Amino acid sequence: MEFKTLLLANLRRHRSGLMGISLLIFLVSLALSSVLTLWGNSSSYLGSELERAGYGTITAWTSGNTGSLLEEITALGAVERVSEQKIIHTNYSLNGQESDSEGQLILYQPEERRYRFFTGDLSGYGNPPGEIQPGTVWVSPSLVSMFGAALGDEITFPIARSGQNLTLTIAGWYEDPFMGSSMIGMKGFLISEADRQNALEILESAGIDALARDGSMLHIFAAEGGLTAADLSAEINASTSLPKFAEFVHSRETIFGFMLVLQNSFGGFLLAFAAVLLLASMAVLGHQIGSGLRQDRRNMGILKTMGLSSKGLRTVQLAQYLAAILPAMVLGLMLAPAVSAAARDMTLATTGIRVPSSLPLGLCLLALSLMLAALVIFLLWQLNKLRHVTPLDAIRGEADGMPVPVKGLPAISGSCLNGSLALRQLITGWGQYLGAVLVAALLVFFASLVGRMDCWLGPDGQGMMDAFNPADHDLGVQSFGDLTREDFEKIIQQYSGITDTYLLAMPSVTVNGVDHTANVTDQPERFHLLAGQPCTGENEIVITEFVAEDFGVGIGGTLSIGASQCIGEYTVSGIYSCANDMGATIGMSREGYLKIGSDHPNLWCWHYFLDDPSQKGDIAGALEAAYGGDVHVHENTWPGLLGIIAAMGALTAFLYGMAALFILVVTAMTSGKLLAAEQRDLAVCRAMGFTAGKLRLTFALRFGMAAAVGAITGTVLAAILADPLVSAAMRLAGISSFTSAPGPAEVLFPGTAIVILFFAFGWLTAGRIQKVRMTILAAD
Amino acid sequence: MKKVILEGIGLCKSFPSGGELFRSLDAIIYDGDFTVVMGPSGAGKSTLLYVLSGMDSVTSGTVKYRGQPISGLSEKRMAELRAKEFGFVFQQTHLVGNLTLFENVAVAGYLAGKEPPKAVQIQTEKLLRQMGVGGAGDRLPSQVSGGEAQRAAIARAMIGVPGILFADEPTGALNRQNSQEVLNLLTGLNQRGQSILMVTHDMRAAARGNRILYLEDGEILDQLDLPPYEKASRERDERVSGWLSSLQW
Repeated sequence: MEFKTLLLANLRRHRSGLMGISLLIFLVSLALSSVLTLWGNSSSYLGSELERAGYGTITAWTSGNTGSLLEEITALGAVERVSEQKIIHTNYSLNGQESDSEGQLILYQPEERRYRFFTGDLSGYGNPPGEIQPGTVWVSPSLVSMFGAALGDEITFPIARSGQNLTLTIAGWYEDPFMGSSMIGMKGFLISEADRQNALEILESAGIDALARDGSMLHIFAAEGGLTAADLSAEINASTSLPKFAEFVHSRETIFGFMLVLQNSFGGFLLAFAAVLLLASMAVLGHQIGSGLRQDRRNMGILKTMGLSSKGLRTVQLAQYLAAILPAMVLGLMLAPAVSAAARDMTLATTGIRVPSSLPLGLCLLALSLMLAALVIFLLWQLNKLRHVTPLDAIRGEADGMPVPVKGLPAISGSCLNGSLALRQLITGWGQYLGAVLVAALLVFFASLVGRMDCWLGPDGQGMMDAFNPADHDLGVQSFGDLTREDFEKIIQQYSGITDTYLLAMPSVTVNGVDHTANVTDQPERFHLLAGQPCTGENEIVITEFVAEDFGVGIGGTLSIGASQCIGEYTVSGIYSCANDMGATIGMSREGYLKIGSDHPNLWCWHYFLDDPSQKGDIAGALEAAYGGDVHVHENTWPGLLGIIAAMGALTAFLYGMAALFILVVTAMTSGKLLAAEQRDLAVCRAMGFTAGKLRLTFALRFGMAAAVGAITGTVLAAILADPLVSAAMRLAGISSFTSAPGPAEVLFPGTAIVILFFAFGWLTAGRIQKVRMTILAAD
Repeated sequence: MKKVILEGIGLCKSFPSGGELFRSLDAIIYDGDFTVVMGPSGAGKSTLLYVLSGMDSVTSGTVKYRGQPISGLSEKRMAELRAKEFGFVFQQTHLVGNLTLFENVAVAGYLAGKEPPKAVQIQTEKLLRQMGVGGAGDRLPSQVSGGEAQRAAIARAMIGVPGILFADEPTGALNRQNSQEVLNLLTGLNQRGQSILMVTHDMRAAARGNRILYLEDGEILDQLDLPPYEKASRERDERVSGWLSSLQW
C-alpha cells in the first residue's frame, strides 16, 4: 500500500521531468522500431519479390544468337533448371537526359505474374495491366528521382542508326526487384509484344547499323544442396558457352546488395543514430535521477526513519522511472509502422520498391528488450546512490549545504558581466548541466559524422563518383559506330580545351572462373591506387580490397583471368578502389587485357579532362545532337546520384530535426529544475537592477557554454573516430577508401548549430524569469 | 523645509483572492531621513516597502521618486532605477550563493554603472572594509556568519550610491550583537546623509530612526518624529516605547 502511495506521490511530484524522459524514450523507441521495420522488411520482401520475378541462384544477361546455350546449362548436374526472359539491350533517353547505362526492354507476359504494379500516383499497388498497349511502356518509379519522369513522358530507345528509334510513352509504374533502385543505372522497361517485334524488325534490317541487341535473361537455379553461386558460376563458365554470350552475370546475393545498398547504409546510420539518442537519453536520465534524489533527499531521510529500507525506496524510484519509460516504448513501437510507411512512401521514387510496413514484432521486441535491459541496469546503477542516504544526514541536509569552492575560478568581470556570471553559474552548478554537455557531445559527434559523409559526397556527388570510378575524368565519350576520336574532339574543343585523355573499357571477365568487371585502360597509373604499384606490365592486374578478400590474395599473388579469347595468369601488383559492382572489379592495362580478350574500336571509351569542366554538360548535349545514337557521352556522374544526394540531405535534415527536439526536451527539463531552485537568486538579481531580459540571456548563455564544452568534445571525437567508423560502414556499399577532408566551416558547423540550438532553447525556456516576483524576498 | 524623496499617493493593494491590504494609503518619505515603518504582523509593512520601491505593483495609486511617477515605468527603466537609485537590505541576507562577498557587492556596482569596473572594485574593497568584513571578501556567503553576510548585504546596497536605502527587517535574523552592529552601520550611513526606509518590528531598531510610521489596518495610524539618532539613550527608547504603547502595540 505504501508502495502505491509513494509511487503516485513521486509521479505527481516529478511529472514534468518524467514526461521529458517519456518523450525522449518515445523518440528513441520510435526511431529504433521504424528503422528495424524498414530494415527487417526490406530483405524479406526483396527475397520474395525476386522469387516472384523468377530470379535464380545466378542470372545471366546474354546477347546475340545463343543457339543451344539454354540446353547446355540445363544439362549440367549442378543446375536444377533455367528459365528465360526475352529482352532487348538498348540505351534510352528521357526528358532530354541520356542514361549512362543501358536499359532492357522486357517483354511483358501477364500470365507469368512476375511483377507488381503501382497506382499512377504511387500511393499503393494497382491491378496489373491485362496487356501493355503498343506504344506504351511501364517503368520503375526510380526514374522519377533519376530523370524527373512522369506519366505521359516519352522515352526514346535508339534501336539503330539514322534515327531508327522506338519511342514509348510511360503508361504506368512497376516494381522491379532487381533494377528498380536508383543505385542501379541499368533499368528494365516492360513493353508489349507488338513493340518488341517492331524493335526486332528494326534490328534485323539495320545490320551493322544496329545500336540495340537482342538478348535474354537466363535465371539459373542451382540443384538442391548444390554449389554456391560463385562455384556454380565458375562451373557454368568452364563447361558451357555462356562466357561467349554473357554481358554480365549476377548472383542473388549481389542483387540483394545492389538493391538494398541504400536501405542498408541509411538504415545502419539511422540505427546508429537511435543508439546515440539512447545514450543521450541515458545521460538525461542520469541527470534527472541525480536532481530528483537531491530534491527528495530530505523526504527520503524521513521515510527511512519511518522504517522504509533503501531497497524499498529504490523499488519505488525504479517503478517511477519505468512508469515513464515503458508506455513511451510501447507507443514508439505502435507508431513505427506508420513512420516506416511514411519513410517508404517518401523514398519510393529512389528505392523503387514498396517495402511493407508491418512490424517485425520479434525483432522489434528483441531490440526494445535489450534497450529496456540497458535502461534498467543503468537505473539500478544510478539508484544505488540511495544507499548513501542516511536518515539524519538527509534531514539535516548536510549533503546539500556543501559550498562549491570558487577559488581559482574566473572572476566576475564588470566588462563582461553576463558572460562571467553565466560561467560562474555553470561551473558551480556543473552537475546540473552534465546532461546537456553529454547530449551535446553525442549529437555533435553524430552530426559531424554525417557532415563528413556529406562533405565527402560533395554538392554534386563527386566523392561518390570518385569512389565508383576506377579513375578520374570530366567527360567520357564512346563511339558505337565509325566515329573517331578526332570527330569528338572537334566538337569538344569548340567549348573547352582538352588537358588530358585516356582510354577505358569495362568488359566482363572471369576471375578464377567467377564473373567480374574489368576496368581496362591504356594508362594504368590513373587507377585510384590504395597500395602497391599500378598494373603497367601485361601480366599484372590491380584488384579491390573486396576481390582480395574474396580470393584470399594480396599484392604479389596470382589470379586466373578469363575473357572472350582465353584465360591467363596475372600477378596482383596493387590494391585499388572502385565500388562498381559492389567492388567486384579488377583493373588491367590495355596490353594485359588484349592477351585474353578481343579488341574492337567500340569497346573503348575516351575519357577527357577539360580546361573548363563547367562546359561538360553543353559538350555532352552538342555531341548527342551531332551524332545521336552513334555516340554515348557520360559526365562524371550518374542519375542515381541525385537520389543519394537527396537521401543524404533528408538524412541530415532528419538528424538535425531529431537533435533539435532532443535538445528542446533536455533544455526544458534542466531549466525547469534550475528555475525552480534559483527563484530566490533571480529575485535578488532583479532587485539589484538586472532586467529579466539580461537574466534570461545569462541563463541561456549557461546552456550555450555547457553545449560548447560538449560540442568541442564531440568535434574532437569526430576528428579522431569519424573516418574509421564511416569507412567501416561504407565498406558495406563496396567503398573501401573513405577519407573526408572537411574545411574549417564543415568541422565547426555541427558544434555551432548544436550550441545555437541549446542557447535558443535555453532562452525560450527561461521565459518564466519574467514572472519571478521580488516579493518572495519579503520578510513577512 | 524637507525635500520629499519618495511618495505614495492613494495606494491601494488588493489580492486576486479578494483581500485588501491598503485602501488609499498615502505615505511620504523625506530625503535624508531615517524613516521606520512599524506595525503588527500582517499589517503590510514589507508590502508597503516593496510597493514604494517598485518591486511590487499597486492595484491603484501612484508612487513618485523625486517627484517622478515610477509606477508605470517599463521593466528596463525600473531595473535601471533599482540599480542606480535604490539599495535593498533584506531580512535573510539574500546574497547570491555562488558569488563571494566581494563579487556580490561588485556586481551591484557594475550594474549601477556609475563608475568604471576598476573603480567599482576599489570602492567595493573600501565598502567591505567600512562594513567590517574586509577580510572576508573572498568567502562565499555560506562561509561567513549571518552578521558578516548582512554587513556585506549593506555594502551591496550602498555600492551604487543609492538615493534611498530600503531595509526590510535587516536585523530580524541576527543575534543581539550582530543586530547592534548592523544598526550602527545603518545609522552611520544616515548620519552621512543617506535616506533610509526601514521596516522592523523591533522597538530598539525603530529607535534608530528619526521618523517612525505606524501601519495598521491598511493605513498609517500615526507617526513619531524624533531628533536624529546620535547615541543610544534610555530617554529615546522610552519615548518610542511610550508611543507604541499608546497605539496598543
